[in-house]
Amino acid sequence: MRGVARKRVVDATSQERRFAALLVAPSLAVLLLTTTAPLLYLVWNSLYRINLSMPFLDGFAGLDNYAAMLGDARFWHSLQLTGIYTVSTVVLQVVIGLALALLVIRIPAGQGLLRIVAILPIVLAPVVVGLFWRTLVLTPQFGILDFAIRSLGLGSHNWLGSPGLALASVILIHTWQWTPFAFLVFLASLASLPPDLYEAARIDRAGPLRQFRYITLPLLRPAIVIVVIMRAMVALSAFAAIYAATGGGPGTATEILNLYAYRTSFTELSFGYGSALAVALLLITLAVSVGLFRIRRVT
Amino acid sequence: MTRGVGRAVGLAVAGLVLLVWSFPVLWGLVTSLKTERDVLAYPPSVVFTPTLDNYRSALVGRQSILPNLWASTMVATATTAVTVLLAVPAAYAFARLRMRARKALGLYTLFTQMVPPVGLVIPYFLILNRLGWLDTYGGLILVYLTASLPFAIWLMVSYMEDLPLEMEEAAFLDRASRLRTLWHVILPQVRGGIAVTVIFVFLNAWNEFLFAVVLSGREVRPVTVAMYNFISVEQTLWGPLAAAAMVAMLPVIVLGVAGQRHIVKGLTVGAVKGGGRR
Amino acid sequence: MSGPGRVTLRGVVKRHGAVAALKGVNLDIRPGEFFALLGPSGSGKTTTLRIIAGLETVDEGSVHIDGADVTRLPPGDRDVAMVFQSYALYPHMTVFDNIAFPLRMVGTPKAEIAARVAEAAGRLQIGHLVDRRPGQLSGGQQQRTALARAIVRRPTLFLLDEPLSNLDARLRLDTRVEIKTLHQTLGVTTIYVTHDQEEAMTLADRMAVFVDGEIVQVGTPEEVFDRPNSVKVAAFLGNPPMNLVRGMLAGGRLVLEGHAIPMPGAGGNEPREVTVGIRPGDLRLERGGIPATVYLSEVLGEGTILNLRLGESLVKARIPAKRRMATGAPVEIGFDPACLHLFDRTSGLRIATALEKTGA
Repeated sequence: MRGVARKRVVDATSQERRFAALLVAPSLAVLLLTTTAPLLYLVWNSLYRINLSMPFLDGFAGLDNYAAMLGDARFWHSLQLTGIYTVSTVVLQVVIGLALALLVIRIPAGQGLLRIVAILPIVLAPVVVGLFWRTLVLTPQFGILDFAIRSLGLGSHNWLGSPGLALASVILIHTWQWTPFAFLVFLASLASLPPDLYEAARIDRAGPLRQFRYITLPLLRPAIVIVVIMRAMVALSAFAAIYAATGGGPGTATEILNLYAYRTSFTELSFGYGSALAVALLLITLAVSVGLFRIRRVT
Repeated sequence: MTRGVGRAVGLAVAGLVLLVWSFPVLWGLVTSLKTERDVLAYPPSVVFTPTLDNYRSALVGRQSILPNLWASTMVATATTAVTVLLAVPAAYAFARLRMRARKALGLYTLFTQMVPPVGLVIPYFLILNRLGWLDTYGGLILVYLTASLPFAIWLMVSYMEDLPLEMEEAAFLDRASRLRTLWHVILPQVRGGIAVTVIFVFLNAWNEFLFAVVLSGREVRPVTVAMYNFISVEQTLWGPLAAAAMVAMLPVIVLGVAGQRHIVKGLTVGAVKGGGRR
Repeated sequence: MSGPGRVTLRGVVKRHGAVAALKGVNLDIRPGEFFALLGPSGSGKTTTLRIIAGLETVDEGSVHIDGADVTRLPPGDRDVAMVFQSYALYPHMTVFDNIAFPLRMVGTPKAEIAARVAEAAGRLQIGHLVDRRPGQLSGGQQQRTALARAIVRRPTLFLLDEPLSNLDARLRLDTRVEIKTLHQTLGVTTIYVTHDQEEAMTLADRMAVFVDGEIVQVGTPEEVFDRPNSVKVAAFLGNPPMNLVRGMLAGGRLVLEGHAIPMPGAGGNEPREVTVGIRPGDLRLERGGIPATVYLSEVLGEGTILNLRLGESLVKARIPAKRRMATGAPVEIGFDPACLHLFDRTSGLRIATALEKTGA
């Protein structure tokens, strides 16, 4: 009798495992095929000299590409730009998104309307956004923002054509498009905070600033951290909007590492070095995300 | 009273933000209806006689983006369908079944989400080139799956985890197998999650640019790449470009506004649950 | 800092849109009193408490604490402490920080904070939990933390909003005793909202009964229990609640389910319809009494509740003995006429009888 019962339990578990494996197998196969294999190929390629425009130079290069990278001023420049771009856009999104959410949380009418409008920037294709800003908004002597600023007496400028302004402009574009994401997340988080915490605080004589500092901010911290992580990932791999707005230029003024790898591979056709750059970006992204997740676990 | 002033300021800022976030679509719409002269007018004109010429240029004739709209539709729809078909069962396995490798698999899924696309587009280009799959539907869809599958699995897992275990236990007591439980009990409950997944995957597939521009050619060219039809070294055809952009973005705007509640829920579920709990 | 704690409400009206949550409330609470606001859900008792706290505004009327008009004063300036039904503990702070919060907000020096938190925690026997977070505490411990946070301030008023409703039955009884003890030790005016009449009866010095946004009776628990001034109040108090039966009163005689009971001094010569109230505990099994039939007997640990069919009406009787009786068994019940409560059928208001002027 007992033997039969025991066998049943064992059967259930292994049957479950088989079923689970069956459910997961197709996805796993696809992921292995479409992610891991190409990544291995990427690393493999980074160890070679591959230039489709000068095929006679092709050959095994070992770690030469990586050595060259370390001495490549353009690489360090792109790294610096990546850092500036990522930090600025994330900080701006969080600050503006949070400020807006705090402002609007008490006004139900504003909230509903803003939620619908907030969707618009998020659903537009980044390439369209980049093109749009480049053509209709920022073109000197033509674009609407340029016109607005000119009307304020601040003159017309080459927003996307002069190096410093170009970086600021692409940061502006990215922030414009993705702040609604932060806004919507923070709005939902704020709405989920129990109101009687604030009532208790009012009775305990905490004014609005202190309520923010001691209650809202600590309770919002998990949401803020998540938003930072997600937006940082997106900023590190931002491509379409910058490509459309400046192409990485003028020169290399807006060439974040992402774009440098792309240009090296598909414009200069140097796939070996391009792969090495891509590997570098991959490692940096992993390092940043691991770091941010560690921070998240601590808070 | 400060309350009134606070409200007024809040409303004013909200109104400003409303304008800032909606003006591109509005201005694009306005531009798409202007004649070339009106478009080039400076200062920009707000009053003008509308024309549909730009839409004609964008949809009819040499530069028509209709074949591109078709390509985008096919690719996005196929990607969405395959993704959901693969992701839902996998998510159920992750969320419910006791698997030894669960944590490892979870980390792996998370890892795949963090790979920067440029790191994948280079090998894809080289591989698809060698296979002769560049500029084909199959190649493009397979590649698009990379981006959407991990995210879809992760999203569905968070929805499934929320379901109370008691329902499945009741189903087991009623002698339902795991498969039938999935079909009859779980799936109806996560309909909302599936809707969110569909919206997000479709949106991302429709708006995809990097993979599209590298891996497509003359046969299969999604609409995001087709935008460049109207830009050349000599000149930019502002009006038609705006019209093309309007048409190209119409589906996602409609999807976004109609599915707005789902999108917000999806964003916040993702954010509240955290990027990968494994 | 804290005053004696006299609270006065005059003509307070509160509307939610077109509906009036409070229809004109007048209240006088004496310093040091334990005052209960009792009533069913939606009767306005919590709204009244929140108005005293300053968490809600009034549409008409005024609120005074120790003679000062505080109607427009924000909650932080009223020197009141409140324990919420959900406890409203700050989930990200330790127990110590939760209790210390009100002291920190007014700039109390660190050493004093430590001493006062220790004192409050000690009083509520949670001293050993001060480093934990609310999420790590049981319901009862969370509740004590909320109480500690309230008493650490030594305020003028304690306001408690159904603090026991989230606790299980046994804990509720224990904590009830603790709250009463706290009140006796600290002597601060306490205003306590509840829908549980047993709580109000055991805890309060005086209470106000709320029905539909109005106070229908104010008095000590004994007064309200022994002489409810309307059917609504009568029906709300008592466990099981008072039996209410139809009767006819004419010329000093009460006719109840076909039986006549002399009621000297009650009513005029005109027959009038009345509702007769009698508490289950006042009914006895008595030979020669009014016949009735059992339809269910519930034997408790200390007695029996008999559900009886009396003519057209259903009544409950509580008898001290343990008697399991079969459905349909005939019984005869009796009572002391002085224990009857008479209410006018239409208005629901109490009718005085000569009996009660002499009786209990």
